[in-house]
Amino acid sequence: MTTRISRREFLKTAAAVSSTGIAAPFALNLAALGSAAAQTGGYRALVCLFLHGGNDHTNTVIPYDLASHSEYFNARSSIALTREELAPTSLGAVASQGGREFALHPSLVAMRRLYSEGNAAVVANVGPLIVPTTKLQYQSRSVPLPPKLFSHNDQQSAWQAHMASGEGVRQGWGGSLGDQLLGGNANTAFMCISAAGNAVWLSGRNVVQYQVSTSGALTMNAITGSLYGSSAATAAYRNLVTLASSNLFENEMGVINRRSIETNDLLRTALPPTTFFTTPVPSGNTLASQLNVVARMIAGRSALGLNRQVFLVSLGGFDHHDYLLTQQAQRLATVDTAVDAFWSWLGQMGMQSSVTLFTASDFGRTLTSNGDGSDHGWGSHHFVVGGGVAGNTIYGDFPQTAYGTTSDIGQGSLLPGTAVDQLAGSLGRWLGVPDSSMSTVLPNIGNYATRYLPLYG
Amino acid sequence: MAKSTGTTALKDRDASRFLAQATFGATAAEIARLQRLGYAAWLAEQLAIPATPSHQAYLDAVLATGTSLSDSHVAHTFWKQAATGVDSLRQRVAFALSQIFVVSLQDSTVNNYRRGVGGYLDMLGREAFGNYRSLLEAVARHPMMGIYLSHLRNQKEDPTRNRIPDQNFAREVMQLFSIGLVQLNADGTPRLVNGAPVESYTADDIVGLSRVFTGFSWAGLDTVDGRFHGYSTPPPDPNRDILPMQGYMKFHSVSEKRFLGTVIPAGQPNPDESLRIALDTLAAHPNVGPFLGRQLIQRLVTSNPSAAYVGRVAQAFNIGRYTYGTWTVGSGVRGDLKATIAAVLLDRDARATPSLNNPNFGRVREPILRMANWMRAFNVRSASGNFLLGTTDDAATSLGQTVMRSPSVFNFYRPGYVPPNTAIADAGLVAPEMQIIHESAVIGYSNYMRSVVQSGAGSNSPRDIQPDYSAEIALADRPDSLVNRMDLLLTFGTMSSATKTIIRDAIATVPLPTSSQTTARTNRVWLAVLFTLSAPDFLVQK
Repeated sequence: MTTRISRREFLKTAAAVSSTGIAAPFALNLAALGSAAAQTGGYRALVCLFLHGGNDHTNTVIPYDLASHSEYFNARSSIALTREELAPTSLGAVASQGGREFALHPSLVAMRRLYSEGNAAVVANVGPLIVPTTKLQYQSRSVPLPPKLFSHNDQQSAWQAHMASGEGVRQGWGGSLGDQLLGGNANTAFMCISAAGNAVWLSGRNVVQYQVSTSGALTMNAITGSLYGSSAATAAYRNLVTLASSNLFENEMGVINRRSIETNDLLRTALPPTTFFTTPVPSGNTLASQLNVVARMIAGRSALGLNRQVFLVSLGGFDHHDYLLTQQAQRLATVDTAVDAFWSWLGQMGMQSSVTLFTASDFGRTLTSNGDGSDHGWGSHHFVVGGGVAGNTIYGDFPQTAYGTTSDIGQGSLLPGTAVDQLAGSLGRWLGVPDSSMSTVLPNIGNYATRYLPLYG
Repeated sequence: MAKSTGTTALKDRDASRFLAQATFGATAAEIARLQRLGYAAWLAEQLAIPATPSHQAYLDAVLATGTSLSDSHVAHTFWKQAATGVDSLRQRVAFALSQIFVVSLQDSTVNNYRRGVGGYLDMLGREAFGNYRSLLEAVARHPMMGIYLSHLRNQKEDPTRNRIPDQNFAREVMQLFSIGLVQLNADGTPRLVNGAPVESYTADDIVGLSRVFTGFSWAGLDTVDGRFHGYSTPPPDPNRDILPMQGYMKFHSVSEKRFLGTVIPAGQPNPDESLRIALDTLAAHPNVGPFLGRQLIQRLVTSNPSAAYVGRVAQAFNIGRYTYGTWTVGSGVRGDLKATIAAVLLDRDARATPSLNNPNFGRVREPILRMANWMRAFNVRSASGNFLLGTTDDAATSLGQTVMRSPSVFNFYRPGYVPPNTAIADAGLVAPEMQIIHESAVIGYSNYMRSVVQSGAGSNSPRDIQPDYSAEIALADRPDSLVNRMDLLLTFGTMSSATKTIIRDAIATVPLPTSSQTTARTNRVWLAVLFTLSAPDFLVQK
């Protein structure tokens, strides 16, 4: 434990130094310091697939047995899926849910296959909480609740933050996991990687998230070869764009430029080309392009000296107040195609059991229809995919799809039965964070009698 | 035109700085004009230029050639006005408003109405110098907003089918377009009760307000069902994508509508009347001045305005009037946006030189603004006259930002974005534009501008949009003068000596031959321009 703490203290100092631009994070070869304990059990990575806009969970995992489906169908009226539509993606009876039958959205063909093969599971009615909360407690506001429920940007933050906080929060649980696991990587710059823009989920106390392009390594042309006929100008340009400044914003631009130049130099040699994989990148699928560069980074893990990684990919367009039936089908088909391709890329590398992908979203949605869509809710159903996952089941309690239940907090929006913290803790433990450190990653985890879901058996 | 009301002539650097905040960037000619006029006369002149539906006209001209519209056409007309519009203040403020009252072509339904989106941008320009109440109604009734936030065709509740009104617009009009999430003091700081902020509305307010936004749909000659639903019968009005949505009583909720302390009793059948009451309520809320004022400051001047600055802008909004020296602007009616804009731009915090030395002052220029600044500084010409620079979404290969193509109603970045693990965060500051700046984006921008500086911007070969570097080429044998010109046009005299030295030395790496200097002079200018556009001094507008 002593070495562990001292290593963390060192990291904190090192990261502080690097953020002022004196040392670049990639230069910290922690393994070479000798104090960093190697992670056991080989490489592992966690991938968050964030569905921006608030995916309609009610039409993503659907009650399928006659009685349950009838209840769902009556509650949803104009935006319900029929049993005929759901038959090809039905999951059959689920023991953990008292033998009730379920189906996936008709677009989720590959997800259904992964589920049936035992490589995917559903986590039912999960959402941000501070403490376990009953409907009565919610209604009387007698327990702390995540701030600004039902608001897109705040609930994105609540899902991603390590304390279910709203917009403006600075630390996410993906980044906090990274803080704990950083010592296993010889190269600290590639701990927390986004292929989808800046997101609070990947920001740790020490870890700085890294944005990778779907094109892989990028080259800053102005510092390469000759610039407008002057080879001497390239060094000057590099000097310019990495200048320090007393103005905080100017200085940060220099910090980002320096990190970008140095890390892309490393990626250029470490990443295999897209053609490394026999399964091509599905065309016109931005999510698949993101997952492809994730797969390429996993392929380059040894060259980059990586033992643990946390990735974020995302797809937008899930805020279906309108056109739910047609547009959600297209969006989920994009997800399904992308995940299927990712699975095959992992398979080619023999890495399916070393990676867990899970879905997340702003919030679930109302059960009620507003004509041809649904409104902002809270709890939602999500997927966990990976060769190590104990799949072919539904974790948590899948609520009745009806009004007036103990989970219905209005218009059929769900009061979460499982906290994001519990899902996060389960994933974090698999990634290698010990129980003793989990409250650093997830300060509210101690509020739950059952900290972890048995996602990995 | 009256001379400046100020007592001393403006310095060219101060004029340039003002233009960087008030327009899409300085030009040498406009700097000289502003020096001649002074701030007040320049603003008065700009505020008096009538609005024109220039984007609609541009897009109609494209349609008249038999070409169907793409998102790129919306970008083209934007760039044309940004680069050449004489109403340069209006264009800049309209762009700022487009990042607050967001609709986006990234929405697959809005995407069917490019002309409507051009019309929406025209509407923001038209309303920019009017009153907030009028702006709010124009936004609420615009069919593009109706599609984007799904209150177009929104129907009253139907208990027999478990259907309730769509809440999307009701929620976002409060959160984003008027009052925000928490109650504010007059200076924009959160009002604290027992040490905690107070939410400005509840879920019940959303439910009440959602009933107001029912029964609105496409404009037209009548209110028959087919027009409400957008069917082909009766024939749609050819301008329905631009005309304000109209009320359809049949689909308007007659339930009680209770929100923010206002009650519209049950039985009100007229959507127009419900809307009037609702928007009056929102526009009268004490949050609006500081909420909108702070965001306008962030879009035009600085990311972290002092509470006093926000308070002064909110005061101008609230009393509808602003006085600068001997010049008074505004109608005296609450919500006057001329007074509000003048307060943003003429405030001592915006104008004072000391703020330049404050390490917390300034805003990161968003990529669109950087490109616009280049266009104006070097007086670009479009060979086609159409400014054929299309979508620039991809951060790794272009600007990472396209006008009217925000990823969501929350804009490209949030006003409260804090870049994690930075000295900015440690100082308790926000940096909204940094939400779209990361390791890929900085290389994408550098590579894109390296090419643009040399070859111009946009499609066609040679590229459609070409700069005029003749004034700079004339200075190419005098590196100090060339750098000083860059500094005046793009960094208004704030370029650090370190940056100047680097650029001057880089210029000097290109030897000037005794004869046939054209290539060498051009290379020198390209270096000066690219280096300036890449310098931290430029990337952060102070």
